[in-house]
Amino acid sequence: MLLRNLLPLSLIIALTACLPVLGERASSASDAHRIVYGLTLQPSGFDPHINRSSELGIPLRQVYDTLVYRHPETREIVSGLATEWTISEDGLVYTFRLREGVTFHDGTPFNAGAVAANLDRITAPETGSQLAVFLLGPYAGYQVIDNNTIQILLSEPYAPLLDSLAQVYLGIASPTALSQYSNNRYQFHQVGTGPFEFVEFVPGDRIVLRRNPDYAWGPEFYTPPTEQSIGEIEFRFFTDPPTRTLALESGEAQIMGELLPTDARALTGNSAIQLTPKTIPGQPLQFIMNTNRFPTDSRGVRQAIIFGANRNAIVDAVFQQFSPVAWGPLAASTLYYDPGLAGMYAHDISQAQALLAEAGFSDSDNDGYLDIGGAPLEIRVIVPPWGLIPQVAELLQDQWRTVGIRAVLEPVPTFGALLEVVESGQYNLVAFNTFGLDPVFLNEFFASDGTNNWAGFSNPEIDSLLSDARQQTDPGIRFALYARAQRLIMNEALILPIRDQVNLNASSAAITGLTFDSYGWFPLLNNVTVAG
Amino acid sequence: MIQILLRPLVKSVGIVWMAATLGFLALSVLPGDAIASQLSQSGADPELIEAYRDRSGLNAPLSERYVRFFVGLVRGDMGVSLLSGEPVSDAIVRSRLPTATLALSAMLFGSAVGLLLGMADGLDVPLFAVPSSVLISLALSVPIYWSGTLAIYVFTAQLGLLPSAGAGRLSQLVLPVLVLGFHMAGGIARVMRISVREILDADYVRTARAKGLHERRVLLVHVLRVALLPVISVIALQAGFLFSGAVITESLFVRPGIGRLLLDAVIQQDYPIVMGVIVFSASVYAALSLLSDFVLRLLDPRVAL
Repeated sequence: MLLRNLLPLSLIIALTACLPVLGERASSASDAHRIVYGLTLQPSGFDPHINRSSELGIPLRQVYDTLVYRHPETREIVSGLATEWTISEDGLVYTFRLREGVTFHDGTPFNAGAVAANLDRITAPETGSQLAVFLLGPYAGYQVIDNNTIQILLSEPYAPLLDSLAQVYLGIASPTALSQYSNNRYQFHQVGTGPFEFVEFVPGDRIVLRRNPDYAWGPEFYTPPTEQSIGEIEFRFFTDPPTRTLALESGEAQIMGELLPTDARALTGNSAIQLTPKTIPGQPLQFIMNTNRFPTDSRGVRQAIIFGANRNAIVDAVFQQFSPVAWGPLAASTLYYDPGLAGMYAHDISQAQALLAEAGFSDSDNDGYLDIGGAPLEIRVIVPPWGLIPQVAELLQDQWRTVGIRAVLEPVPTFGALLEVVESGQYNLVAFNTFGLDPVFLNEFFASDGTNNWAGFSNPEIDSLLSDARQQTDPGIRFALYARAQRLIMNEALILPIRDQVNLNASSAAITGLTFDSYGWFPLLNNVTVAG
Repeated sequence: MIQILLRPLVKSVGIVWMAATLGFLALSVLPGDAIASQLSQSGADPELIEAYRDRSGLNAPLSERYVRFFVGLVRGDMGVSLLSGEPVSDAIVRSRLPTATLALSAMLFGSAVGLLLGMADGLDVPLFAVPSSVLISLALSVPIYWSGTLAIYVFTAQLGLLPSAGAGRLSQLVLPVLVLGFHMAGGIARVMRISVREILDADYVRTARAKGLHERRVLLVHVLRVALLPVISVIALQAGFLFSGAVITESLFVRPGIGRLLLDAVIQQDYPIVMGVIVFSASVYAALSLLSDFVLRLLDPRVAL
C-alpha cells in the first residue's frame, strides 16, 4: 500500500526536481554597462607568463599593460609602461625609461623593481613558462639603473624583442601579488596596471573584469572613458560553435569570437548584429611538403601540387569568402609580407599536368592516377581536426584527382599525434599554421636546424637570410631579407598556402569601438562603448 | 552478514580499478601531451621538452607510472593539471556541485516523465498512448546535441523565454534539465512500458481481476508496484548516461561542471585531469549501483539479502 497512487507520486518527484536549484545563487543585478564576451575554449592554465593559449590573452590584454604597445592601425611600437627606450649600437642592451605615477590595481607602485620581479619570474626554470620565456629570445639578464630605468641584456642581437615586449604574455604583474601567491594560485588573483582589473576567475564558468577608475597611463590610442563606456566584462566559454551565434541573437552575449563561416554568412543580413572579421598575422593555413619522401622530393611534383589546388574555390566553399587566398609563407597582415608573391602558382590544371609529365609521370595502368616506374603518384596528407582543415583537405583531394594525383588523407586527433607522425617522417603534406606579427617564426620552419623544419629542406641562402633577419633591427633591411626568403621558399615550392586566418568576431549593434590589436586575437576593450 | 556487506564493496572497488586501468592504458597509447604540444608550438628545443617531461614524470616507464598513479590514488593524491598546475582533486571538487545539481535535477525530472510516459504507453491510456510512444522514440533516437541546439533555438533565440548560457540562476537550469531529463526519460519509459505490459498478462493480474477487484486497485497495487522494480535499477544505471549526457549538455549550455572539465582536458591533452574524472565518475557509478542493489532488496522480497 506504500505506492497507493503512482500518478501523484510522479508529480511529487517532478516537483522535488526543482529542489536542488534552490541552492544555486541568486542573479546579480544587471547593468547596462556590463557586457558578456563569449570566448571559445576554456583555457586550462590562465597565467600569461606560464601558459600560451590565445584565449587567455583576450581577457588579460585588458588587465595588463606592457612596456611598449603596438599601435593597432600603424603597427608602430609606441610607449606603454616605458615612455622611451634606446638600443645600444651592438643591439645587446635595451634601456627603458619607465613611466612614473603608475600603480598596480592593488596599490603597489610600478617601478624598475617591478619589471625586474616579472623578468625573474618569467625566466625562472621552475616557472615552466611555455611561451613568455621564448619571446625573450637570447635574454641574458637585466640591470636596474635607478628606480625608473631598467636595462634588458641580450647575448646576441634579437630584432623581435620590442615586438615581444608588446605582447600580453610579457604583461607586467604586481610584484606584491606575485610574491603573495604561488605560481599555481596567481592565475586566480591576477593584478596588473591595465584599464580593467581582475575581479574573479571561476574555472569552467567565467572571468569577470571591472574598469580600473585610476587608469590614466594608457597608450596613445586609448581614449578616456565616457558615460557609455563599458564598466564590467564577463567572459564566458562557448565551446560549441553553433551556440555562439544563438547567444548573440538572444542577447546573452554582446561580443563573440570565432563564429563558423556559415553562421557569419547568415548574420550578414541581420541588422542587430555587426561582424568584425579580423585577420590574424602569422602563417596562413598551409600544407608543408616533405622534401625527403617520394613523390614530394621532386620540385616539379611539389609545384604541380600547388598548381593543381584551386584555392579560390576553397575560400568560397569552406570559408564563405571571409578569408583572403594566401600565396606565400606569410599572411598579408604579417610584418615584412611580400605582396609580390600574389598570384604565384595560381590554379592551372594544364601547367600541373605538364610539370608532372616533365617529371616522368604517366598513367600506365589506366586507373586515372599517374605513376612512374610502377610507383603510383600518391601523397599522404596529415589532417588535424581544427580550423576546418578536414573540409579543406577533402576539396583538395578532389582537385588533385583531376590532375592525376592520388591524395590519401590521414586524420590525426591532436597536435601531439601530428607531431608523432612528423617525427616518423611518414608524410608528404602536413597542415599547420602558427601566429605572430614578426616573421621570426619562419626560422623555426625553414632554417636547416629549425625545430619545426617539417619540409626537411636545407638551403644555405635561406639559412643566412633568416638568421640575418633575426638580428637586424633596421626595418628596411629586414624587409629585403624576408622578401627574398619568402620568394625562395615559394620557388622551391616548400608549402601549399591556402588562406589567411581570419577570426570572425561579431557583436551586438549597440557596441561601438571594438578594435583588435596588431596580433589579431586580442581585443582592445578600453574604448568600447555600449548604447542605451 | 560480513559477506553481504563485503562482496558489493569489493565489486565497487573492482569497477573503479578497472575503469582507471583502462583509462590509463588508453591515454598511454595516445601520442603527445599538453606540455609537449604547448612547448613545441613555442619553438622549444626537443631537449627542453624532454626536460619538462622528465620533471613531470612523463618519461618514466609505463609500469612505473601505473604504480605511481595508484599509490597516489590510494593516498588521495591524483596529481596536478599539466597546464594550470591546479591539483586534480581541486578541479573535481569545484566542478562536482554544478554537475550534481544538473544530474540530480535531470534524474528526478527524467524519472517522473519516464514513468508517466511508460505507464501511458504500457497501459494504453486513451489519447496519451500514441503521443507517449512518439516521445519515447524521440528521446531514445535523437542525439542530445541536436535536441539541445533546437531547444536553444526555440526557447532562447526565437521566443526569448529562457537563458541558454551560464549557471547560477534557477532559470539557467531549466533548459539543460529539460533536455537532459527528456533523454533520460526515454530509457526509463521503455523499461517501464515493457514491464507494465508483461505484468498485465501475468496470471495473478488475471486472478485479481477475476476475483472482482476494482480495476484502479488492480493497476495501482498489482501492476504498477511490481512493474516499478526493474525500473529502479534502470534509473541507477542511467547515471552513466547522465554523465555522458552532461559532457554535451554542459558544453551546449555553457555550464561549468565535470563534463565540461573532461571535454576541455581531452581537447588540451591534460591527461591527469582526464584520469581524475575517470576515477571520480567510476566511483559515483559504483556507489549508485551499490545503492540501487540495496533499494531493490528493500522493495522486493524475492531478492535475498
